[in-house]
Amino acid sequence: MSNNRVSRRQFLGYTLTGVGGFMAAGMLMPMVRFAVDPILQQHEGGDYVLTDQAVADITEEPVRVDFTFEQTDAWYKSEVTNSAWVYKEGDKLIALSPVCKHLGCTVNWAGSPEHPTQFFCPCHAGRYEKNGQNIAGTPPLGPLDEYQVKEQDGFVAIGAVRDNTLV
Amino acid sequence: MHFIGKEIDQYLNQQDYIDTVVVPLLQIDLSETGMKSSAGASEYLQNLTALLEKQFKGRILLLPPISYGKTADRQRIADELTKEVEHTKFKHVFYLTTDSEWRTLDSLKNVLWLPAIPIEDMDQSFKNSVMEDQLRQVLPLFTKEWSHHS
Ligand code: FES
Repeated sequence: MSNNRVSRRQFLGYTLTGVGGFMAAGMLMPMVRFAVDPILQQHEGGDYVLTDQAVADITEEPVRVDFTFEQTDAWYKSEVTNSAWVYKEGDKLIALSPVCKHLGCTVNWAGSPEHPTQFFCPCHAGRYEKNGQNIAGTPPLGPLDEYQVKEQDGFVAIGAVRDNTLV
Repeated sequence: MHFIGKEIDQYLNQQDYIDTVVVPLLQIDLSETGMKSSAGASEYLQNLTALLEKQFKGRILLLPPISYGKTADRQRIADELTKEVEHTKFKHVFYLTTDSEWRTLDSLKNVLWLPAIPIEDMDQSFKNSVMEDQLRQVLPLFTKEWSHHS
């Protein structure tokens, strides 16, 4: 009977392991959450966001279309507005990401007067063709990303971002 | 780039490209009568600088707002900041503020002073368009500075 008694030393040992375990869990849990969060966010972004841009007004000339969605950063919810360059190729809608593939500035269609049929990045003069193909000799090393895009009740709806499929 | 660990890694690798530092200067007023407009100005300034960062992410490093009280010695702040930036590789420094007192100080170059617009009660899309408008006033000042000395 007395063999099963917990000695003072054992008791201390158990409690300390317990406390240590708690502390470890306390430190690990937030880390796990941080690691997992980006994956969750991507999932949320997977849905289409309806914009107020009528598909009928889209031509072959890229226009900027803004779309707003709610983003949750850990405990903080905020509205994020992103934009896409949208144009028609025949009947097909195309939406390109404005994020420069060099260091992430925002590119503009016809942003440079000398190159009215290209995307232009004001930061280091990066340039892209209309389909997003980066122009050799300018800093970007890859083509602009593409958004999934569809028509919803006559309006443009923007989906997830993916690698460029046009070039 | 934002002043956060991950983006500083990128900054350190690309210092030749990210040659501009942007410093928001923010006055904090905690008096009961001044708090509301001070907070509004803070919101406006941080909104604007966030938009600016998004536009020029690959060329600017946006610092967190340098905050100080009403009676702060702005000359001293200016001197400290100048000294801090002096030995870096940044070629251009911009200060953005809604605090008009900075206009009387001429030791700082490139102080962009903008009157704060209360944006807290605007709905999202109106706010976006107002802030875009504000941004459009600031952008050319950057591109002009860059094209002059690059
Ligand atoms: S970030 Fe676009 S060219 Fe450098």
